[in-house]
This record gives sequence, structure tokens and C-alpha cells, in this order.
Amino acid sequence: MSCPKLTAPEAARWAARAGLPLPPDRHGAVAAVAHHIHTVVAVLRELDFGDAPLAPAYRADQEMPDAAV
Amino acid sequence: MQPYELSLTRAADAIRNRQLSPVELVDSVLQRVEQVEPRLHAYVTVTAEHARRAAREAEKDIAAGRHRGPLHGIPMGLKDLIDVADMATSAGSRVRAGHRAQADSTVAARLTAAGAVLIGKTHTHEFAYGLITPQTRNAWDADRVAGGSSGGSAVAVAAGTATFALGTDTGGSIRVPAALNGVVGLKPTYGLVPRHGVTSLSWSLDHVGPLTRTVEDAALVLSALAGHDPRDPASLTAPATDYRPGADADLTGLRVGVPRSYYFDHVEPEVEAAVRRAVDRLAGLGARLVDVEIPMTRYIQATQWGLMVPEATTYHEGTLRTVPDLYQADVRVLLEAGALMPAGDYLRAQRSRTLMRQEWARVFQEVDLIAAPTVPVTAVRAGQETITWADGTVEAVSDAYVRLSAPANITGIPSLSIPVGHDTAGLPIGMQLLGRPLGEDVLLRAGHAYQQTHPAPARTLTPTA
Repeated sequence: MSCPKLTAPEAARWAARAGLPLPPDRHGAVAAVAHHIHTVVAVLRELDFGDAPLAPAYRADQEMPDAAV
Repeated sequence: MQPYELSLTRAADAIRNRQLSPVELVDSVLQRVEQVEPRLHAYVTVTAEHARRAAREAEKDIAAGRHRGPLHGIPMGLKDLIDVADMATSAGSRVRAGHRAQADSTVAARLTAAGAVLIGKTHTHEFAYGLITPQTRNAWDADRVAGGSSGGSAVAVAAGTATFALGTDTGGSIRVPAALNGVVGLKPTYGLVPRHGVTSLSWSLDHVGPLTRTVEDAALVLSALAGHDPRDPASLTAPATDYRPGADADLTGLRVGVPRSYYFDHVEPEVEAAVRRAVDRLAGLGARLVDVEIPMTRYIQATQWGLMVPEATTYHEGTLRTVPDLYQADVRVLLEAGALMPAGDYLRAQRSRTLMRQEWARVFQEVDLIAAPTVPVTAVRAGQETITWADGTVEAVSDAYVRLSAPANITGIPSLSIPVGHDTAGLPIGMQLLGRPLGEDVLLRAGHAYQQTHPAPARTLTPTA
């Protein structure tokens, strides 16, 4: 899934909107890493989630009452 | 054999039988610290005086008939993300300069109550956000990485400067250094061991667990750690259990899944060969090998990152604004970049986790455990950043080390890493056993059976001296 590369000014703007103003010397490095993270995570958009809910807290005791073997 | 060389189980037996005193054991471990620590750097802080005092008290209590159990008088190291009252929890970071924990974490309190003796706090990759632990040297080869993020704990156990240690595991941080240093590492089921008082990397992926020399040792420590604590919202209410495996090494009837996909892709041939030999050994003990397909492999890294990256950034939000220069460069840029991830990506990762848990539960209807390599490569040289595979694929070292560990963090299932040999360079190789939620007893039984019957037991202590 290709995506246009995040530019340094875009990274600066996004970070500021997220409440994390970055000094100018950070913009390029953060843009590069954020773009890489995006390329990894973006594949999740391929999934058909159906009605799958979020899994905010995993509770093994509720999921596997017969977990003991 | 010197006392520092004893496994926890053997040391505990010797103490119980009055053949060894906690003072002798702690003194031996502290001498070992003096001998090897200048080269290995497993510890941030060594609490020698405290340890000697605690050992004397343990000796007195045991002599008076107040023996608290197998951890009484046993020297331990705690990863420096774990709060111990009145000590700094440095988390491997300058951000924590001047820190002082006000109270014990749940796990520190439980181990103290069980009589374990703190030798010191062990090094972690900064805030557990990395797989190297650059402060620490590999116990088998000082030019190699210790692995991480619980690198100090693994090296201390491997080198004999702690009889056991605790680590944390968000994407392999117990199992990776355990494998790279030839010790046992257990990531328990999510929520089994409370995390109250343990610095978080990613709440929905974080686990606390033991690093030990034997599987039986890991069972003893887990028995002391597990149990509900309402101060950790993920803490399970499973009843207290004695996890110590029985002596029976017969695995007849146990169905061991051998992955057809993923876990043996892009794995060093020597690692694959050692793990397959160990799997055959399980079959030799009566286990039935069953080929299994690992589900949703294309989405494992995406799900791990989609959860971990924004959660880590959120934890550090305040200090990232106020003291960003105090973070190491590798951690700082990851935390900053995490602020740019849209909520939609995080939510998709949470839904993907739901699907993945369902799919893994289906796999565990066919098998009782899955056996696989812990890491695809042994310890790389310090400074090496990438691995080039035979097909020309280039992979970051950190990605390679997380790759085979992440599924157990995402799904919350337990995973036990055990040493299964060495490569031709003499570096340890680890195999992980993955089980159903709360299936620690099955993993420990199989791992213990393997270790009991291994035809040529590997040295559990490194040759460092």
C-alpha cells in the first residue's frame, strides 16, 4: 500500500496539532520515522474487520474458562 | 561448584536442608559480581550491604524454623523498571535522574515477602523501548549485544551474578535476552503477574516475568509472583497456583504444534536446526508433532506497532515536551514520531488484535502448545543494525528480534524460552514454547521434561571469568 512520503513541514504541522511542537532540527528525522511507521501499520487497512470489537483489555480468565489442560 | 553456580531450585534445596546458608550464597554471588561485573555491566546499582543484611536475617529466620519457602535467602536482580521503595527506578534514562520510588511494586513486595534477597537493579534499554540494552555486554561474548530490553537481568542470571531475575516483555524483552544469553525466560499470560509499580512501555502489551537458569526455577518464581492485584486493571483473578512441574518427563499425548509458516521463515540455519532437534526431543518424550499454520502473519508487525507506538508516546507525553533532550536519540525519535499516528490506526490495531486472538484460539483447539525459535538469529555484534537474509532481504536487527516474540504479546498467550544449544560461534540458541491463555503449567511441564532429559545439558553458566 503506497502512500506519499511525509514531508518535514507536514511532520512539524502534525506534531504541533498533536500537542508536541518540534524544534526545526527534528522535523526531517521525525518525518522519516513517522513515514516508516505508517507504511508498516497501513497494511491493517486491508483487513475486513466485520463486527470485530476493540480489544482494549485482554482478559484470559474470561476468554478461556477451560484453559487448564 | 560454587554457590553462585547453583540453580534456584538446587540452592533452595541446599538452604532448606541446612547445607548452605543464605549468607554463604549471597557472599558468593557478590564475589562473582566483583569478578565479572566490571566487564559485563549487568547492574545499574548493586545493593551489597542491603543484600548481606537481608541474608543474615534470612539465615537467622531459617535457623529459628521460620523458613518462608523456596525463595527464602535467594539472591535476585530486578530490572530497573521495577519499583523498590526508596531506590531510584532509572529506567535506563537520564529523564529519571533523581527518581526515588515511594513504595515497592507488587512484584518486589511479593518477592521480598517470599524472602528473596535483592542484589541490585539491572540495566534496561531506555524505558524498555529497544532490543539491545547497549549498557550491557552479552554474557557469552562481550563483543555481542546482550539483547533487550531486559538485557541486564538475562546477563546477570547467565553470569552467576543473580540466581534469578525479573524482566518485562512488551515485544520479546524477556525472551529475546534470555535466548541470546542462554537462560530461561517466561512471559506469562497477560494479566497473570501484576504490573503495579512497574514503568510501562505499552499498557496493553506489557508483561512481567522471571529469567532463570532452569524451567523449574521459573516455575518457583512464577508461583511467588502470580495472583490478583486490583491496582493493575489488567490483573486476572486466577487462583494462586503452585507451578512447580512434576518429575515425570513423559509427554505422551501432548500435541506440539510445529509452525509450517512464519516461525521458520528468515531464520538462521543453525538456529532452525537446533530448534528442530529440540522439537524432535519432545517427540522422543512422547509428544505428538502436529503441523500448524500461523494465522494473520502479514499483520503481526503492523498490529504490534499500531498498539505499542502510540501507547508509548502517550506515556511519555509530558517529559517529551519538557525534557526531550534527555532521551537517547533512538528512543526520542520513536516517541516523537508516535505522536503523528492517527487514532484510526490504533483502533484498527486493537480490532486486528481481536481477530488475531480468535484465530490463535482456533489453532490451540488442535494443539496443546507450539514450539518455535525464540529469535531468528543469535546475538549480533554490538553496532550491527541490519541482517541480510539469503534471499537478499534486509531486516533491522530490532525487527528481527521482535518478529517471533510479538504474537504472544499481541494475543496475551504465555511463552517460555529455553536454551536448546549453541551455534558454531558458541552463542546460545533459544526455543520458545507458546501455550493457551493460563496454560503456563503445560509449558513448564514440557520445558522441564526437555531439560531433565536433554542428553548433553548445556552449561547453564557462561564461561565468563
